[in-house]
Amino acid sequence: MSAPAPEPGRPSWTSAVRDRVAGLVPPGQALPDRQPAYVASWIYVFGVATLAALLVVVVSGLALAVGGAAWWHTSSLGHFVNSVHLWSVELFFAAMVIHLWGKFWMAAWRGNRGLTWVTGVVAFVTSIGTAFTGYLVQSNFDSQWISGEAKDGINSIGIGSFFNVLNPGQMLLWHVTLLPVAVGIITVMHVVLVRRHGVVPPLDDDREGAAR
Amino acid sequence: MGIVLAAGTYVHWGVVSISLTNLLIIVAMIVIFVLALVLPFPAARDRRYPPEDES
Repeated sequence: MSAPAPEPGRPSWTSAVRDRVAGLVPPGQALPDRQPAYVASWIYVFGVATLAALLVVVVSGLALAVGGAAWWHTSSLGHFVNSVHLWSVELFFAAMVIHLWGKFWMAAWRGNRGLTWVTGVVAFVTSIGTAFTGYLVQSNFDSQWISGEAKDGINSIGIGSFFNVLNPGQMLLWHVTLLPVAVGIITVMHVVLVRRHGVVPPLDDDREGAAR
Repeated sequence: MGIVLAAGTYVHWGVVSISLTNLLIIVAMIVIFVLALVLPFPAARDRRYPPEDES
């Protein structure tokens, strides 16, 4: 028995979601294999380098979550994965900051790209929070010292009563669930907006002169 | 497990105090940024289109 064909033109939430998803980016721009000539510069590499580093961060973080603290503190493989997680975060932030410098000096918010810029800023700030909670869940004397220092800063802004940096369980859940989900969502929004509006042309390009 | 005895080398400049490691990382990032601006990109010509073709 075959499923009945949908009535043409009949509105439903399924068709609304389908149209919404299909219309997120122009046709052919979701994963383009060609780019404008001005994109052939090393400065345009750091956005995707940030994404690549984030992928390694997530995968190594998943491995650490599977193994647990006793594993990453005692076994040689655990030490290695722990170091991969640390250094991929270092590369993630280095690439993201160089990406930020490049986009700032090419005024990448031009041409109706303001929301792209803002989502990048929010992704940066959320990533910093994720990294800071990572310092707190190493389960060693370093994390104990950092949380002791951090509590004064957190208390000074009045959120220490519900965001307790001295509570490793709470910080671990923020680090492995809430904040990574937030970073993931805002990153997807950022990438969709980049694909929706395209890569910003150089400042001396006059095609978007009216949008400056 | 080793015990770290040294606190690291710090650079002091007025009110600024930064570890030598962090300073070197920041300098390296600036160098990479400048190199990204000036080094030619080895792009294959058939994988990009000229600016006038962009819609």
